[in-house]
Amino acid sequence: MGSSDERVVAVIMVGGPTKGTRFRPLSLNIPKPLFPLAGQPMVHHPISACKRIPNLAQIYLVGFYEEREFALYVSSISNELKVPVRYLREDKPHGSAGGLYNFRDLIMEDNPSHIFLLNCDVCCSFPLPEMLVAHRRYGGIGTILVIKVSPESANEFGELVADPSTNELLHYTEKPETFVSDRINCGVYVFTPDIFTAIQGVSSQRKERANLRRMSSFEALQSATRSLPTDFVRLDQDILSPLAGKKQLYTYETMDFWEQIKTPGMSLKCSALYLAQFRFTSPYLLATGDGTKTAAVIGDVFVHPSAKVHPTAKNLLTLNYAQIGPNVSISANARIGPGVRLISCIVLDDVEVKENAVVIHAIVGWKSAIGRWSRVQGEGDYNAKLGITILGEAVTVEDEVVVVNSIVLPNKTLNVSVQQEIIL
Amino acid sequence: EHFRMKALILVGGFGTRLRPLTLSVPKPLVEFANKPMILHQIEALKAIGVSEVVLAINYQPEVMLNFLKDFETKLGITITCSQETEPLGTAGPLALARDKLIDDSGEPFFVLNSDVISEYPLKQMIEFHKSHGGEASIMVTKVDEPSKYGVVVTEESTGKVERFVEKPKLFVGNKINAGIYLLNPSVLDRIELRPTSIEKEVFPKIAAEKMLFAMVLPGFWMDIGQPKDYITGLRLYLDSLRKNASSKLATGTHVVGNVLVDESAKIGEGCLIGPDVAIGPGCVIESGVRLSRCTVMRGVRIKKHACVSGSIIGWHSTVGQWARVENMTILGEDVHVCDEIYSNGGVVLPHKEIKSSILKPEIQKFQLKLNNKKE
Repeated sequence: MGSSDERVVAVIMVGGPTKGTRFRPLSLNIPKPLFPLAGQPMVHHPISACKRIPNLAQIYLVGFYEEREFALYVSSISNELKVPVRYLREDKPHGSAGGLYNFRDLIMEDNPSHIFLLNCDVCCSFPLPEMLVAHRRYGGIGTILVIKVSPESANEFGELVADPSTNELLHYTEKPETFVSDRINCGVYVFTPDIFTAIQGVSSQRKERANLRRMSSFEALQSATRSLPTDFVRLDQDILSPLAGKKQLYTYETMDFWEQIKTPGMSLKCSALYLAQFRFTSPYLLATGDGTKTAAVIGDVFVHPSAKVHPTAKNLLTLNYAQIGPNVSISANARIGPGVRLISCIVLDDVEVKENAVVIHAIVGWKSAIGRWSRVQGEGDYNAKLGITILGEAVTVEDEVVVVNSIVLPNKTLNVSVQQEIIL
Repeated sequence: EHFRMKALILVGGFGTRLRPLTLSVPKPLVEFANKPMILHQIEALKAIGVSEVVLAINYQPEVMLNFLKDFETKLGITITCSQETEPLGTAGPLALARDKLIDDSGEPFFVLNSDVISEYPLKQMIEFHKSHGGEASIMVTKVDEPSKYGVVVTEESTGKVERFVEKPKLFVGNKINAGIYLLNPSVLDRIELRPTSIEKEVFPKIAAEKMLFAMVLPGFWMDIGQPKDYITGLRLYLDSLRKNASSKLATGTHVVGNVLVDESAKIGEGCLIGPDVAIGPGCVIESGVRLSRCTVMRGVRIKKHACVSGSIIGWHSTVGQWARVENMTILGEDVHVCDEIYSNGGVVLPHKEIKSSILKPEIQKFQLKLNNKKE
């Protein structure tokens, strides 16, 4: 067990606006790390997982967004969770390990014994305290969270091979063409401060090679790939691969869920995974109701306290509350009218859904208006390009209009039905 | 005066274009605006004193005759069937029914096409026929796309028919044969008992002798033998009802435009019905339902918050809660659309349950187990 002097720092890589292009049109309005899953910003989930680490001293969010985009969030989450959270902006790309190295002085200020590195766009149960315990036992410089996936999908990720008894990382390769292993890198790590030495080593090596190359212009011409800047260090290729098999890196396997949140469709899937997790960890966050005094709730549903779900109108003797769920998340100030049916969807802030409308497998953007008896529907294939219907900010779907398997960019009004289209 | 007039209604065959509805019921008995199609014509004939109607059919006379006995008693009119054993075209059936159509009164007889709806201004047609003294009168109606049909070219002032042109490539006129004729008994002498076309063989001969006259049909006209035209036809029919008998149409805050509701149907709270909707006997429309441009046949239940437009819902079917049925969806008899399902132009054969959405128009075929809806 660690002593009370052994402080831990967590670093969460949040990426930047040029990186999250697959998250459009939602990322046109909000930095992807702040997009809500199960009612909380995406980055909130790894942050609250970090809160469970004993002796957590500080959380750093590292990314390329402007500071002001995170200022409000960072100060409110620090207050809420009573742990210092700070956003650090990278001035230029340093690679996944180089970014960590770039801020090493700040990170080491608290003299931490261990440093967690997490990727914001990873959706999982973040078993961080358990990883730390295992890591201490292994005694290496780093422990990687891994998960088993289907052999067919493994080559989308970093594949790795671990020793079944010692859990040492024996081999690592990024997106291989042939099958190596069905265990993949989850993008969650714990390191000792030695990691900075390892990263610096890579940097120096590259500097040396660069100097050598300058002496041979023939070699420079021969170079098929552009040589990377010396301070650009990638975690996968430059650290994990070379250190595999040297008794320095170990693995910890999770048996829970794991997904990458690259597209809006995946955000809907991950929202459902987190809602299901709430049922175990914090059921008080989920909505309840049987349709008599409030909406009828089916399965896992989040409703922001400021959202209104009510029967409106005059002359209704039987009050038809909406029926909501499973897998629905409703954000602040949304208004859900009577007789509405919501299934597997994310309804963002200030949306109005009018009477008898139906929303299935969709994301409804901030301030949008969904008309009476209209229907916004996706097929439910999270991976297909048009498998989930996405409405951008302030989209109006007029009464009785049907929108199926489509993406609608912000501020559009739909007065005719559409299917399988991207509406600019 | 006309009390001994007779009429022949050409009912024809299997009604394949109105499937799946005609898989359960012979076409003349499929309801239109809450009344069997053929009853619209029989009532119009009865109203001007026709005493006997002959139905020229080639399919399921037993089913027809059972229904018709009912109408006979209620309306006080004689209805008989003349059954073809082989297809006789559009004129042959007249020869087959000759004995029923001619008596010694010498009165002309009507011939109606059973797929047609209109205001049936038959009294005016009789007067027109008497005034020109020709052998045959036909109604013609103006259409936007005459090349789809047979065009009747007439002399403007007298209505004398000059010629028929089948699906003309160049514009020759915009009046087509409306399928309503008034014929002197002598016309029957021109028709042999074999497959014959009245438009291609019989009428051209009469026109050549300058004995065929055409009257422009006042009011609306529609051939409702296929679903798209059936739905358009309902709009025209209800428009006409608004002008001539508006008390039959529904009223209320939940009604928009022209809506016909059988008195035994129930409509719940918070619905919006119309325009151009017909709701049949025993139907239950639950609360929060939106119906527009559709026909809901006898015994159908539309569950809460569902939305149906531009479609026909067959007898005893159900549409589930929050379901969306639109764009020429035709549900046959006893079809059940599950909750939250979307049907975009699905054509569903009888006794089927729809458990997954139909995103594009397609035909949902029979399942092998016809009686087990759970499969």
